[in-house]
Amino acid sequence: MTDRLRNLPTMKVHPQTELTLIYAGKRLKGLASDTIATALYANGVRIFSRSLKYHRPRGLYSLDGECSNCLMDVDGIPNVRAETSLLQDNMKVEPQNVVGTPERDFMSFIDKLDRFLPAGFYYHYFHRPYRLWPFFQNRLRKAAGLGRLKPSFRMKGIFDEIYPRAEVCVIGAGPAGMQAALAAATQGLRVILLEARPWPGGFFDYRSTNDVSDIPLHQRARQLADKIEENRNIRFFPGTFMTGFYSNNLITAFQVGKETDYFDERYMEIRVESVIVATGCMERPAIFDHNDRPGIMQVACAHRLARTYGLLPGKRAIFSIGDDLGLEAAMDLFDLGLPILCVADTRSDGQAPGLVEGLEERGIPFMRGWTVSTAHGSRTLKKVTLCTLDGLENRDFKCDLLVASAGLTPSAGPLFLAQARMSYDRFTGFFLPDEMPQKVHAAGRLLGLQDPLSIEASGRLAGLSAAADCGALVKVLIKEARELLEQLPGPVRGSKFIQAPGSGRKRFVCFDEDVTVKNIYQACDLGFDHVELVKRFSTAGLGPGQGGIPGHNLPLIVAQYRRYDGDSSDPILPTTIRPPLVPAYLATYAGKSRNHPKRTPLHETMKKTPGAVFRRTGSWQRVRYFTHDFQCREEIETVRNHVGMIDVSTLGKFRVFGPDALHALQRVYVGDMSKVKEGKVKYSAMCNEDGCLMDDGVVVKTGENDYYLTSSTNRADSTAEWIRYHTRYEVWNFSLVNLTDAFGAINLAGSRSRELLQTLTDEDLSNNTFPYAGYKEFRIGGDIPVRAMRLGFLGELSYELHIPASYTRTIWDMLLEEGRPFHIQPFGLEAQNVLRLEKGHVIIGQESEIRNTLHDLGLGFLWNREKSLYKTVGAPALHFTERQNGRMKLVGFRMEDPRRPPKDGSIIVDTRIRGHVCTARYSFTLGQSIGLAHVHSDLADIGTRLEILEDDMGSKRLYAEVVPTPFYDPDGKRLKI
Amino acid sequence: MLCRFTENTKKAKNKLMWQRPPLKGSYDAVIIGGGLHGLATAYFLARNQGMNHVAVIEKRYIGFGGSGRNTAIVRANQRTKENLPLYAEGLELWPKLTDELDFNLMFFNCGNLNLAHSEAALGSMRLLVASAQFHGIKSELVDAKQCKEIVPILDISDLPTYPIMGGMYHPPGGTVRHDAVVWGLARGAARLGVHIHQGTEVTGINVQNGKVTSVETDKGKIHTPRVLNAAGGYSTLVSAMIGIRLPVHVLTIQAMVTEPLKPILHHVVSSGAYHCYANQTLKGEIATGAHMDPWPNYTTQVSARYIKHQAEALTDLMPCLKGVKFMRSWAGLADMTPDMAPIIDGNNPIQGYFMDCGWGYFGFKSGAVTGKYLAEFMASDQCPDILAPFTLRRYENHKLMGEIANPVNYGPWN
Repeated sequence: MTDRLRNLPTMKVHPQTELTLIYAGKRLKGLASDTIATALYANGVRIFSRSLKYHRPRGLYSLDGECSNCLMDVDGIPNVRAETSLLQDNMKVEPQNVVGTPERDFMSFIDKLDRFLPAGFYYHYFHRPYRLWPFFQNRLRKAAGLGRLKPSFRMKGIFDEIYPRAEVCVIGAGPAGMQAALAAATQGLRVILLEARPWPGGFFDYRSTNDVSDIPLHQRARQLADKIEENRNIRFFPGTFMTGFYSNNLITAFQVGKETDYFDERYMEIRVESVIVATGCMERPAIFDHNDRPGIMQVACAHRLARTYGLLPGKRAIFSIGDDLGLEAAMDLFDLGLPILCVADTRSDGQAPGLVEGLEERGIPFMRGWTVSTAHGSRTLKKVTLCTLDGLENRDFKCDLLVASAGLTPSAGPLFLAQARMSYDRFTGFFLPDEMPQKVHAAGRLLGLQDPLSIEASGRLAGLSAAADCGALVKVLIKEARELLEQLPGPVRGSKFIQAPGSGRKRFVCFDEDVTVKNIYQACDLGFDHVELVKRFSTAGLGPGQGGIPGHNLPLIVAQYRRYDGDSSDPILPTTIRPPLVPAYLATYAGKSRNHPKRTPLHETMKKTPGAVFRRTGSWQRVRYFTHDFQCREEIETVRNHVGMIDVSTLGKFRVFGPDALHALQRVYVGDMSKVKEGKVKYSAMCNEDGCLMDDGVVVKTGENDYYLTSSTNRADSTAEWIRYHTRYEVWNFSLVNLTDAFGAINLAGSRSRELLQTLTDEDLSNNTFPYAGYKEFRIGGDIPVRAMRLGFLGELSYELHIPASYTRTIWDMLLEEGRPFHIQPFGLEAQNVLRLEKGHVIIGQESEIRNTLHDLGLGFLWNREKSLYKTVGAPALHFTERQNGRMKLVGFRMEDPRRPPKDGSIIVDTRIRGHVCTARYSFTLGQSIGLAHVHSDLADIGTRLEILEDDMGSKRLYAEVVPTPFYDPDGKRLKI
Repeated sequence: MLCRFTENTKKAKNKLMWQRPPLKGSYDAVIIGGGLHGLATAYFLARNQGMNHVAVIEKRYIGFGGSGRNTAIVRANQRTKENLPLYAEGLELWPKLTDELDFNLMFFNCGNLNLAHSEAALGSMRLLVASAQFHGIKSELVDAKQCKEIVPILDISDLPTYPIMGGMYHPPGGTVRHDAVVWGLARGAARLGVHIHQGTEVTGINVQNGKVTSVETDKGKIHTPRVLNAAGGYSTLVSAMIGIRLPVHVLTIQAMVTEPLKPILHHVVSSGAYHCYANQTLKGEIATGAHMDPWPNYTTQVSARYIKHQAEALTDLMPCLKGVKFMRSWAGLADMTPDMAPIIDGNNPIQGYFMDCGWGYFGFKSGAVTGKYLAEFMASDQCPDILAPFTLRRYENHKLMGEIANPVNYGPWN
């Protein structure tokens, strides 16, 4: 391991704590607080990966994870950002997209073939003749992609999620962000402060200059950080990457846990009143030939390597920069011991005089109006050619480090996501907000400010403005803060977009996708004129770096091209920025396990019942079988011969009451609800505007203007909305309460159900006092109130018992206990399915679908055509379709071969498809195979022979005959006993 | 500024994909919407019908809407006999079109696996499979073990929220590079003389005596006897210009991609219960689409909910994907009809006004083939049989198509 610099006050690594990492099979040492990339760099690793297309060597470039150069495989996880991921002991790190070793890659010859691989080459090749395409397609697939994921991979660690609430969220804990947080917190507001790096400080953190105040900037950062820590209103989240900015100021982020944290990563959704974006700047990559060679890095990268990680980035350095920060970094690195051959500055004037003098004092040659034109060296940097801006003069320098940057560009991603209106500002060369959304503020460097005091002042102003959003009385303070900011230096002139002469063949605009300047021209040449189209065609900015590297240069290059093309009218447009701003693991997004089905009050009882097979039905967990005989013979026969019971707690249950309750019911139900009588249940249905059956259930009148109604299970959630929606323009006075979860329900069915139920109650349950379609409220099992209905869904004497949820288990257990002499058995959904099929009853969604009106299902009798007064939903459609020809109809059928029911979903055909089987089963009760099907109306007559085609049946057919329904007990005698 | 690329620009003119011609005062047909449907219709009008004097009017840039935002999945395992032939022909068209346009549309014939998580879902799939087989389209039902054989990274244990019980495997499907289709068709159309006007907004459609006479744009008036509304998510707005209210709800639908990986997922996998579909693009990204936002709107803004939901769903089904990162999410507009089938109609009720809309989130799959038949319709004023079932009148007659079984009402209540 290279020796680190010592005794720097800005150092974050701990020289005492050594960690081990295994890189390409070798054991290397790093320090605590190193990132994976800095630890590798300290061990002399320069080539971190090979590039996507050309397999070019790639190295450390930005230290902020802005490109895929330092995506590595860590412990089997592909595409880990080595630059921003903290080193942990015994990490196993492998380079990616390498065939051979990073130093010697067998695929690197592709780099020479770039002439044959222009932008979008794959659109023009490989499809002639077409039969060769699959071969090339597989080659392309294998060549594409960066990391490799093993199918057996399982993510380890704890992934949590939190949903913090506060008044203000500040994104970025640099000087502006910290000042903003303090300003808002001082007003008594709760502030959440997010910072991607593991510590606060931003670009003050690694700078030692004290030009503007009496202490170095890193000390100033420490001061502010201490204040943040002391302030109890501020929740500071370090190591937290903001990912999304959604409407109404919903911020998403993820935090990477430190060793002391309970989580590895946690997903965050932060809802606040006001947001401050203080994310600062990143560097705009300099564009020159071979600008991607390992050994070339950005200013802050070199500076932070030394100042934060104690690593001198090279032995002989050249600087080619475009702003004062570059000069400052050169001086500081020189003082730390980095030999600098010369500093080229694209600006011919405008540098801070102090910095120019400083370079002179140190004897560093300073070349104004020069820039880098070419980097040399086959694998890592060996030599650099500098040239004057007009390209007439050249000079070569042997070196192993080129610190290159074209200037700054704002990290304005959060502003774009916040829907701020951004436009290109010619003075700063930044995309700046013209108009901010309400309750969103920007502060600091991303507004073009460079002066440390201005940056802090803008942070304070933003913090106060956010406080004002939250109702704090800070008018005067805002005025003072604004005046202070106006006195301080404003935005600085940005560095120009400069390209040295050349074809742009090896000049990379986008490292992730290996897109060169030439590729951009190629796309433009083809007529892709909109920057977004250029991006899509050339793929520049579509890689994991999220446009960090090409984000700013691409619009400039396209605009430059357009100008040369004679079209200078178009504004310089940014490419679209999309969340997540920083890629996040699916594991992080997924967070904790989410398998929380709804459970009925009887769930625990069911779980203990032998043989219970559960199924997830919508949001519910329900028992489908109580046996592993999936035909459920025993369950069915118990109901037909003795008595059975089923948990139907999932039914929707509602109370509708108030003076206009009846109006509301008349609106949504097709039946005449004025005919509902106390002590009676009325079965009815709801239709949509097409007359299509939406829901069915029973309505009970429990008192004057007071109704209790049920809906089918899967409509339980939407029925309340349905009623409200269809009465939204009426000024009707009624209330609706969803009682679905308040009541459990048990359907007790079978000829002996009365005898059994009678053992639990003194209430007279005889057929005379409680007949079919009757409703009764009474107490059973001592003192448990129950609402009982005599219904006939399954074709037997049966009682649907609605019981307060907490008592449902008690009743179930009592029925089971008392039912033993009656051979009682619980039955599941499949048995219920067969029982009701035998009765020809419809299950919504199974026998009804969007094409079917109430008439098509044979349920037209439910519709009362007389009550037009109430504008019943669907009534016009029911009138219209009543005698319409050529519709699909629901019919019952009996198979010619009684032993062989067709499988559900089989189709009915002749020369065309004519319908399909909804449900078909073998009926033990009838000894036949029966079913319900939708068929075209000309096949719906009784006696019609149906040809049924299952999947994988070829030319074979099954045959059935249309028969009347119900199949079982057509006169309904068994219901009325 | 020193860069030498004058050389490039000189060469440029003759290899332009499409020109930027001036807007003329009249065209034989004006197509509103420079997406897949509009461009395909323009291309086939010029190629098959000899109608070269056609303008495609696009408010933004071509492929800005759904054509560039979909997840590029193609398949022909629809539910109804009306849809199946159209999609089946659409599927067969991709290789032909690749050849014809001399532009690699990158049809990746990987096959689609649709997962079933309940007995009921298997029943619904049987209907689709049997219907496809009846029409001679390859499709089969598979059990959970076979699902795992097809897509080894699936978790077929009881651990997922919705355990996998089986599925429907449809080998002829796959993905097509959606941008390539747009660009290839635009180039093909432009070479046949079609004018593509990007950055041009239609502001009105003029009708006289029940006939279309001209189209107003922000760049000037265009006289034309025929206009096609192929504005996708914005088709309701275009339709409103002429006073026709469409039974269409516009909803935002979101999609996202992960960082690129070496091949790990070799099929299109989808699951209705999870509202989730995923495939690995040729570039190596896993592209995945979500369900629609549950309320109508015209924004293409993403929400926090779906990217999280997608991660939950994908990692539930394919646990190894926990180690992959989402890189980008975006949204498009789905113009949903009540029966999940498109509205293709013309000269009804206004002579010369054609509609190709209501394609929801499935407009990519058969966009090209629809363009072919629509061109025939527009040129001859005779609706081809294959398009006849998609008439707007079916809603008036309450004869919905049944491409989906469940009644869908994309109103404020869901």
